[in-house]
Amino acid sequence: MIVYDKRLLDNLALVEEAKSLQFGGFISKEQKDFIKKELPAFKRQSNILVRLGFFLLGAFLYLSICGVISLFGLSGESLFFDICCYIFAIAGFAGAEFLAHQNYYEHGLDDAFILGAILNVGFAIAITTEGYELIIAVFVAVASFILYRRYLHLLALVVFCLAASAVLFYGLFEFGSIGKAILPFVAMLVSAGFYFFTKKIMSNLKESYYYKGLLIANSFCLILFYLSCNYLVVRELSAMLLGNEVLPGKDIPFAIFFHAFTLVVPVLYLVQAIKTKDRIMLWISFLAIGFSIYTIRFYYSVLPIEVALTIGGLVLFAIAHFSIKKLKDKETGLTFKPDRINNSNTLLNTEALIVASTFGLKPEVKTESPMDFGGGGFSGGGSKGSF
Amino acid sequence: MNKFDNQATDALLERKLITDNQYQEIKVYRSLNIFSLNAELKFFLYLSVLLFTSGIGVLIYNNIDTIGHIAILSILLIVIGVCFYFCFKNSKGFQKTEVTFEHPVLEYLVLAASILTCIFIGYLQFQYKPFGTHYGLATLIPTLVSFFCAYYFDNKSVLTIAITGLAAYVGLSVTPQDLLNNNNFYSDQSLSYSAIMLGVLLVLWTIYSSRIQLKTHFNLIFLTFALHIISIASISNLINDYYGIWMIFALILVGSSYYFFKVSHDLKAISLYVFMIVYAYIGFNIFLFRVFEHIDLGDVWMLLVISLPAYFIGSIILFIKLIKTFNKEIAA
Repeated sequence: MIVYDKRLLDNLALVEEAKSLQFGGFISKEQKDFIKKELPAFKRQSNILVRLGFFLLGAFLYLSICGVISLFGLSGESLFFDICCYIFAIAGFAGAEFLAHQNYYEHGLDDAFILGAILNVGFAIAITTEGYELIIAVFVAVASFILYRRYLHLLALVVFCLAASAVLFYGLFEFGSIGKAILPFVAMLVSAGFYFFTKKIMSNLKESYYYKGLLIANSFCLILFYLSCNYLVVRELSAMLLGNEVLPGKDIPFAIFFHAFTLVVPVLYLVQAIKTKDRIMLWISFLAIGFSIYTIRFYYSVLPIEVALTIGGLVLFAIAHFSIKKLKDKETGLTFKPDRINNSNTLLNTEALIVASTFGLKPEVKTESPMDFGGGGFSGGGSKGSF
Repeated sequence: MNKFDNQATDALLERKLITDNQYQEIKVYRSLNIFSLNAELKFFLYLSVLLFTSGIGVLIYNNIDTIGHIAILSILLIVIGVCFYFCFKNSKGFQKTEVTFEHPVLEYLVLAASILTCIFIGYLQFQYKPFGTHYGLATLIPTLVSFFCAYYFDNKSVLTIAITGLAAYVGLSVTPQDLLNNNNFYSDQSLSYSAIMLGVLLVLWTIYSSRIQLKTHFNLIFLTFALHIISIASISNLINDYYGIWMIFALILVGSSYYFFKVSHDLKAISLYVFMIVYAYIGFNIFLFRVFEHIDLGDVWMLLVISLPAYFIGSIILFIKLIKTFNKEIAA
């Protein structure tokens, strides 16, 4: 199913390993360069900026190809409008196949064609079925899964996860109000099931190629599991889908369960993540804790936002300070010492950028008001989500 | 822990790409089973500073008429004083090269202290107007304080605040989101000139500081700001219809692209290089567009659409070449 040469994929894993070993100081730079030169490799851009640039160029190229196709099609009949997206999608598949045969992998150009093809499949089905969501979701899911299996494209897999959950949701809508009512529980059970399913595949996996993709699917299940029964999500969705306005003094059915779920699951994630030393789960647990706090504040605002921010800042500072103090001198296991092999330093490099965007000084046109500085509060909170 | 990492290490050994000793060393290190919370905890510290300072900022703004001004000012002053006390006590003093605190918390205390100082001075000006109507001065003083902290304590985050403050002093908003929205330059023509002057000034400062070996690791930040300010100012003026002014800005863009092309090689900074290419490419396309504007395209537009893919394929090949040579040159 994989279009790429397996040897090249193996080499990629070896070179990545050599890179992290060199970063950790286990091997010298010359040795890494030698390894890199020795093993034939993909045309690949590891720098995210460069990859983004090539993605944009690839998107322009794809659009201009579609433009040329429409130029010829326009002289034809109105039939062209019905089938143009199918043709564009085929162009996308052809482009992706061509680039894959030229050994482009995670390069940016291939991203543009693969994502463009998925998008056009969605449009094409939408035009044919006049916007029937369930069918669109099914076709997008199938197309993105095939693209993932063939090109090992991780973004396509993310699209697949989203499309697959859309299939689940729209499928339940078909059952009318009963389907909508049991939606949270079904979503919870399905995501839990797939979590253990992907976990099982991962532990039995022989080939390394699918590992990253499974990891993404696994993490997606964790996020979906948390969101499926989060109190805020359930309440707002039930108001939106079933038209159940919650009257004052009343609450949604099973409110206690959803409340408990919102509080317990993030903590469970955190404990489990530290126990199994799972970094992705750790980050998901942080985000979940943040969202749970937001949920509570959304309905029971005990403190005004600014006081909450100030106190929250102090509490967080205290937690971080004491954790550092405690972990500072440990040599094994859980520690504050930077890991020589797997570290997440890229995160810290973006710090300066966030400071500039949240606290940058602005020119004063008329009056100097402290709001210019304080205004960062909202974007400061938002910056958390962007990681 | 990923079992495939171990497999990869084994494969490297099998192919004799790493030595036996190295392999053993790696094995021993991996068996320590390290799970480092370094980045996470630092990020928490950082987040806490952001939350705390924005909370204080909003708090002051909302209660500006209710709490006594003196009370607010004195509380702020005390907090600032405490932060600075710890920073100065633990700092190794000013050094020309890169220094770091022994305890990571202090780095974030410096950040908190600088942001709070900005709030303090802003509040002071709002309430008591010590600078009268010299609003520029009210921006300049926090800027100077931030520059001092950035250089004394060697803090990059504070440096970015200082640079945005400097830009605010000349009337520009250079926070990233404003640069992206790019609403500075349409409204005011003369702002473009001051923007380019500021960019040139930043570049000159990096040249001077690398000559006297003063905090050379700051150069990348200065140059990043300079690149974005100059390029965006000149690109938005390329669309200007006022006589032939856009020609001047086209020349400026060419000049700055050439300079940053060279400097990105010197610093081995691919981010500068990529952004330089992107800006140059945008500028070049606008230039082409302006040239075609004067030609009547009545009948040949179909030809133009057909030749577009070829144009993009050509640019892609060109960029792949550019990136390849750059990677080769910085590796050498």
